[in-house]
Amino acid sequence: MIVFICGGSKSGKSHLAQDMAKALCKDNPLYYIATMIPFDSEDKEKIRLHLEDRYGMGFETVECGRNILSVTEKADISGTFLLDSVTALLANELYGNFENKGADTDAADRCIKDIRELAETVENIVIVSDYIFSDAESYDESTQLFRKALAAIGNSIAAYADIVMEMNYGIPTIHKGKHIYETVF
Amino acid sequence: MKLIIGGAYQGKTCYAKEKYNLTEDDIHICNGTEIDFSKKCIDNLEQFTCYCVKNDIEPVEYFKQHREQWQNSIIISRDIFCGVVPMGADNRRWRQQTGRLCQYLSQEAESVVRIFCGLEQKLK
Repeated sequence: MIVFICGGSKSGKSHLAQDMAKALCKDNPLYYIATMIPFDSEDKEKIRLHLEDRYGMGFETVECGRNILSVTEKADISGTFLLDSVTALLANELYGNFENKGADTDAADRCIKDIRELAETVENIVIVSDYIFSDAESYDESTQLFRKALAAIGNSIAAYADIVMEMNYGIPTIHKGKHIYETVF
Repeated sequence: MKLIIGGAYQGKTCYAKEKYNLTEDDIHICNGTEIDFSKKCIDNLEQFTCYCVKNDIEPVEYFKQHREQWQNSIIISRDIFCGVVPMGADNRRWRQQTGRLCQYLSQEAESVVRIFCGLEQKLK
């Protein structure tokens, strides 16, 4: 089962994703793929809050800020995985190579391919991404590249996912797979 | 008229091309000019309102004047309404005028769909 959850910042998507992953795992392993590589105290605080939120739910954390397919070497693929988030993974893949200061323009294609392969390899996966596409701001080239890449990855996942949901203020809208959602959850 | 809205890069044009069998030649892509209503599809409507703001044209009035010409059109506009209020006065005006035009068109439309991650959400 592949579930994709997309929404604005602080819309409750991580919380919903955790609950859905927990419901899907039954008695099999439950993994949280930690994509954020912390740079400062703000990042560390965010990670602490996320850890607190999923404490006691039975998640085993797999650190994987880049090269997402390597998860399959570190965990049991018959388990259920929570990938939170595509946004952080893309940022790491785009700008993670600090010796080369510019953005890696192959990052989007690599993420599209690797996330799909991971999703099709593991038993269940819940994938979380941010919705940052409905404002009137004009951005510099590098931000535009990031937005365009994040949209391309999201559109790709939505095409093969079994369930696609949008979160607003903690309220989900099911864009795809309503019947499956009602059967499983 | 059919109205298609959605955020940036969500696959609105792709959706329209597939759903209505459109070729590049069927699409008027708005930029710094008036609209060629002879085309089946009017894309990037928010660029037309941008042109309106720069040239003191009221977009809703413009569409009312050409009402007969877009009754069978497919109109695509980007959703630019969910961010912080833009800093520049022109940008604010652009956002407001685009919103007003979209409200008018959604009332007039026989169908309104929103595209989210490439998927269709029927609003009307």
